[in-house]
Amino acid sequence: MTPSPNEALYELCGFARVACEADLVMALEVDDAGRASPVASSPPHDFSSFNLTRSGLFDIEWSAIPDAANKYRLPTAVVHALPEMPTSLLFVPAPVEHAPRSGLLLLWTRAPSPAPLIEHVRLLASSVASTLAARREAVRQVAMRDQFNDLLESVPSGIVLFDGDGQSAMINERAAALLACRPGSHRSSELAAPMRALRERCANHAELETAYAAQVGNVHYAATQHWVLGERTYEVDTHPVSGDGQHGRIWLFTDVTAELRIAAKLRGLAQSDPLTGLPNRRHFEEQAAQILTAAVAAEHTVALLMVDVDHFKQINDTHGHPVGDAVLKAVAGRCSDVLRDGDLFARFGGEEFIGLLTITTEHEAAVIAERLRNAIAYTPVLIGQLAITVSVSVGAATTRMMSATSGEVLESLIESADAALYRAKQNGRNRVTIA
Amino acid sequence: MSHGFGTDQDAWFALRPWVKERFDVISFDLAGCGPGGAESYDFDRHGSMFGYADDLIELIDELGVQGCVYIGHSMSSMIGAAAACARPELFSRLVMIGASPRYLNDDGYLGGFEQEGLDQLFASMAANFQAWVAGFAPMVVGVDDSEAVADFSRTLFQMRPDIALNTSRTIFGSDMRNTARRVPTPVHLIQTAADVAVPLQVGEWLAAAMPNATLDVIDASGHLPHITAPNEVRRILEQRLAGLVS
Repeated sequence: MTPSPNEALYELCGFARVACEADLVMALEVDDAGRASPVASSPPHDFSSFNLTRSGLFDIEWSAIPDAANKYRLPTAVVHALPEMPTSLLFVPAPVEHAPRSGLLLLWTRAPSPAPLIEHVRLLASSVASTLAARREAVRQVAMRDQFNDLLESVPSGIVLFDGDGQSAMINERAAALLACRPGSHRSSELAAPMRALRERCANHAELETAYAAQVGNVHYAATQHWVLGERTYEVDTHPVSGDGQHGRIWLFTDVTAELRIAAKLRGLAQSDPLTGLPNRRHFEEQAAQILTAAVAAEHTVALLMVDVDHFKQINDTHGHPVGDAVLKAVAGRCSDVLRDGDLFARFGGEEFIGLLTITTEHEAAVIAERLRNAIAYTPVLIGQLAITVSVSVGAATTRMMSATSGEVLESLIESADAALYRAKQNGRNRVTIA
Repeated sequence: MSHGFGTDQDAWFALRPWVKERFDVISFDLAGCGPGGAESYDFDRHGSMFGYADDLIELIDELGVQGCVYIGHSMSSMIGAAAACARPELFSRLVMIGASPRYLNDDGYLGGFEQEGLDQLFASMAANFQAWVAGFAPMVVGVDDSEAVADFSRTLFQMRPDIALNTSRTIFGSDMRNTARRVPTPVHLIQTAADVAVPLQVGEWLAAAMPNATLDVIDASGHLPHITAPNEVRRILEQRLAGLVS
């Protein structure tokens, strides 16, 4: 096995120390500002970085002859790595790109015997330089990979990245959790099955198959789909890397469940009346248009009911607004309970409610209106200790929907039902009047 | 005069007048400390006590001083020792207040701390620096002196929390016993009878291990006697530095 650049540097230091009978040999990576990182040493020590700008080491042309140590300002860490004060030292420059002052530093605590090998230690310079360069590159790559991984894992999405070579793929932790495999590098072929399995588990997989099948063979396709997995929905974006499928393909899985829920909730809030929870007048008009269009196609009869709480002002004046509000809620609840699922019932404003129903016979309108009236009047509304007798008056209008029916049919139905309601009030309230 | 962890050169306010009458005084802020601390601090260089010793030597060289009397508190004690080993001619005496060459207990050595306790200390520093200072400051001051506690807290807060954490890792992780054994300069150790950071045995170990050292245990408590018991410290200085006063 090839030794790592670090191991190789330790070996080089060790070799130089033995060959030159030195007490300490250090491989130093030094930038042009004199900042030195001791990368390896023999004997091994843990060094922090230090600065050699004023050391004097770079002020002379080094030959193969050691010099007196007291002419140089050595970092305290170097002095302390030796058993006593050094007497001689030799610096062997080994310049590296971006670290031009790098080299080997040899130190002796006694004057070195003129060992013939000291002369040859300079031959190590090129090995030291190339190993320092290799180490630097390795450190840089690790740093880049760490940065990339950090970025990859900081994104709140699952990421699957297929290389353009069609061979390799990479997934982050979130994607790994979704695909039930380990994060990191994979062969492309290993990820195809988990990706397919995930898609097949989606509630809407048939729809997804159709959408993706249309793109088979198109390396440049880009699409965003919702994958519905149990209770969660993922927005799945796929696009070619840098717009070119030859460069690879990226899949991004973003959990949008919370966003979709919030959006649905906001939509609901905008459409409903905050007091009763019923649709508001605007939402009633939108929904009514749809019901009426559907009824035209089927030539159904529709009924419009106006429901108004009797003597509501008096309830408010007697018991206060909170009780008035509670009465409106109770009326809304009781009415909703006796209506059918497809019936539209909304708060029209104040104490007035409106219903739009599809019916089979005109008589049915009267039956349902009577059911509403009775649902309110048959027993008092209980609010805390209070039992309040409440009643409603109902005005109803019906019409058979046909293609010739005027576009203003809703307005005219409301007008007729309103007139009927007025009559119901005139005739003593708590009653139903059909237009 | 070189201050200790968590203070800055203002920590010498009580001793300064006495010293100033007798010597030319140089004081400075350690890297990472004082108002501009963050700029002077290098996470790698100052990850070792030797980085601080290099700073000290650079400063003394810059001023062209030789044979100075060095007064160091706490971490600065061993910084001075390291510098004196590397450049003996720069120092004539080293005064060390609350010195410790190693905070962790070891076989046959009582430093006062176990790794577990230190890990907890680092974790609580990292989790909530404010709360940590509130607990740490009164413990280190060691006497009921609310002004000293407030002042120590203030200078601790002056440090950037990440720098404070790294500095304390450097200090508590250091083992400067070999350095202590080879200090060529005469040393005067001063320590209080009750110091949460430095047990009495540490002072005794240093006095025995250093080639030329005196130990004075003063009748005071806490890790900051130069602030909380300056008269006691002055009395020792008077006695130990008697021959040097010009």
